[in-house]
Amino acid sequence: MVTIVIDGRKVKAKEASTVLETARELNIAIPTLCYHKDLSPFGACRLCAVEVKTNGTWHLAASCVTPVVEGMEIKTDSDTVRESRQIAAKLLFHRYPETEAVRQVARELGVTVPERKGEKHECILCGLCARTCNEIVGVKALNFEDRGVGRDVETPRIKFDPNACIGCGSCAFVCPTGYVSMEQKGDKRIIWDKVFKMVPCSVCGRYFAPEDQLRYISEKTGVPMSELTVCTSCR
Amino acid sequence: MNKIVFSSWGGKIVDNRKGKSSKTPAGTITFPSLQSGGELKSLMGWNGMVITDPETDVVSLTVRYLNEIRKISCGECSVCMLGIDRLLELIGELAEGGEVKGILTEMEAVVKQVSVNSKCFFGQSAVIPVMDAIKYYKAEFQALGAGGKQNDGKDFAVTVTAPCQAACPASLDIPGYIELIRNNRFSDSLDLIRERCILPGIIGRACTHPCEEACVRNAIDEPLAIRLLKRAAADKVLSGEGDALESSGKPKEGKVAIVGAGPAGLSAAYRLRAKGYGVTIFEALPRGGGMIASGIPEYRVPDDILNHEVDLIKRTGVEIRYNSPMEHLDWKKLQKDGYKALFIAVGAHKGNKMGISGEETRCEGLVDGVEFLRDMNLGKRIEPKKKVIVIGGGNVALDCARSCVRLGFEDVEIIYRRSRAEMPASIEEIKGAEEEGIKISFLAAPVSITVSDGCFRSAECCRMKLGEPDESGRRRPVPVKNSEYTIEADMIISAIGQSPAIPVVNASQELGLTSWGTIKADSATLATTVSGVYAGGDCVTGAATLIEALDAGNRAAESIDAYLAGRDRSDDLSFSGVDVTKIRTDGYVPKEPAEKVDFLDIGKRTSNFEEVEGGFSVSEAINEAKRCLRCYRVTVWQK
Repeated sequence: MVTIVIDGRKVKAKEASTVLETARELNIAIPTLCYHKDLSPFGACRLCAVEVKTNGTWHLAASCVTPVVEGMEIKTDSDTVRESRQIAAKLLFHRYPETEAVRQVARELGVTVPERKGEKHECILCGLCARTCNEIVGVKALNFEDRGVGRDVETPRIKFDPNACIGCGSCAFVCPTGYVSMEQKGDKRIIWDKVFKMVPCSVCGRYFAPEDQLRYISEKTGVPMSELTVCTSCR
Repeated sequence: MNKIVFSSWGGKIVDNRKGKSSKTPAGTITFPSLQSGGELKSLMGWNGMVITDPETDVVSLTVRYLNEIRKISCGECSVCMLGIDRLLELIGELAEGGEVKGILTEMEAVVKQVSVNSKCFFGQSAVIPVMDAIKYYKAEFQALGAGGKQNDGKDFAVTVTAPCQAACPASLDIPGYIELIRNNRFSDSLDLIRERCILPGIIGRACTHPCEEACVRNAIDEPLAIRLLKRAAADKVLSGEGDALESSGKPKEGKVAIVGAGPAGLSAAYRLRAKGYGVTIFEALPRGGGMIASGIPEYRVPDDILNHEVDLIKRTGVEIRYNSPMEHLDWKKLQKDGYKALFIAVGAHKGNKMGISGEETRCEGLVDGVEFLRDMNLGKRIEPKKKVIVIGGGNVALDCARSCVRLGFEDVEIIYRRSRAEMPASIEEIKGAEEEGIKISFLAAPVSITVSDGCFRSAECCRMKLGEPDESGRRRPVPVKNSEYTIEADMIISAIGQSPAIPVVNASQELGLTSWGTIKADSATLATTVSGVYAGGDCVTGAATLIEALDAGNRAAESIDAYLAGRDRSDDLSFSGVDVTKIRTDGYVPKEPAEKVDFLDIGKRTSNFEEVEGGFSVSEAINEAKRCLRCYRVTVWQK
């Protein structure tokens, strides 16, 4: 455990935990958009900004990617923090005005957002889909398109590798805006424009999982395919 | 540079516009300059803006700068990319007559947020000069709505560097290839590496990595393991199938002859071939690689890595003629054979003499280090002896010593005339040597050797102390009176430096030489005193590093191409004297140590030449790549 001071309170925090995790354990509210407790933090949305001081100077930092260290002081609700969070939210709302997840968090941070629901499902580059695919599923079918010197891609975006994808739909599950969507038509599942053949449950007949996904699970676990063709409801 | 009209470079304001006097004398600040030495008019870069031409359109300069940094903004954090877009939008609104005060206030707020809340050091630092422009050239921005000028930016050029990139002799786009690794795109990373370094598997193992010394994370925790990341990209693609280099473009008129298939020669050959020229390399040894093949032992760079990388180059159509030494180059004859240009890259393979008495005697057991390594690497059998002393402190000496251990020499001792701090060998080599039981005697040097019955018997050595610095900047070793001692050994290997063996370029046109006996070549164009003949690498600089030789090959190819096409080389910015590591922002970065690789157990090392250092796994490489702070430094400039 390390001793830190958060909003003037001296507390003990788990070593190597992040400022965000520690704050949430203490029921201190910090907004997030690109964070998921089961994934490594990414620091994309910049809404979880806090001020930290470790050796004399206050700095702004993204609390989700900042580990607590002994003696760290933290301010989660100063004027500086509120200003930064609001402008980050304003920029997001300005770019994605019709995406509901953005509208909600912007409204919470004091941006003027009309009450109606947003009508679009844009990709806000939060990276949750890529991290899920890399860390939880492990097939690494999603990643950021690269930019920079000599690689001028107009708009950063998530790149999809159809050869690696097993059609599990985890990315659609975790996407906060509904940009990643899954469609099912009979025995076919369509996700990221790739069509997957679904396997029917040998008990109830419902199409429940893509063949590619079951094959992947079989390879990873050694369990033969024949024992994987029962859906979770019938098991 | 011309007289400064306005500068905010380094955060110091120099304002010489009408009626204002500046406090800081401009002479104390070092600005970027032009490589050609020509006049640089104005620029906007990461460290500020510098205006020397009163006619410079600051708004257009700012817009061009914002567009350039937008290309590098990766989009992985919202504030930087959306912030830069918003700034460009707001300037557009100004031009359309929007409400000036509100727009400028919002611009300041956005610049401030991007500089404190961006994820990486690039986002944080890149927008700073825009604040200078809004603050000090407010009138120009205000005038936009009233039909203020904006030009098309054709007069501006852009140069991108980074501290690591600037330190790299070959200017590799290091943040770029690290980012591709971070996104699990090893093959794309390797393509980017190959744009400046055509021997990545070798360099990823044997480079002296000046980039790591420049990494800003040195001040935070540990530098990025840039060399090992390069190795990870090379090894991953090597282990897969279908590795091939970009083939040649449209065939061009003219063949180029290259002497030496070392890193400089191979690099120049590949680049010229890729431009479409016919290329023939004349190599004296039976294999390619130069010092890599004949000097660096297999436990540092395995043969199959070298063979693969040379083979890749050959497969693009480069002809390599082995066993073809060219001590007497007939340039006129080569020209008659159709060669339009010649690149001499023979390296420095002659071991320097120690200059001590007894050395001139030919005897068994008195060995030149470079020759020792070459014989060993070309397959000659070397009988291990009981005791060997190696004289010298550079990587050649370390290579000799560590090879002797593996060859079965029982007692290996290095004798170096300065102290550990001055020892030029890389720290990894010194550490490896000590782990392998090699004794290093510092501050000692031989003064004479004793030979009997045609065999080396012993060396008389003298202790040294460090005196005043010499031309290399290191403190000169000074013999300590009456400190002589005798050391008996079966072999003495001298590894105190190398010189090039200069080929003679026919009697009528002698190659100009420097006072150190290396080939004189223009540092920018690599042209020698003989028209159409270029030179680069160790034969020009004296014994240096692989990556410098590689860069010489890159630049020789550019130069020869420009020469054959009859055009000038393009100009670019030089950051000589400018501290590229400094930025005007100060973000918080949590400490995180570098990923480490495994080394072969010491017990398993010493009877074979198996590779000692391991490489990163894919996930280790990706984790290490995540530590990169993307320290790109962008400068938009006007000639």
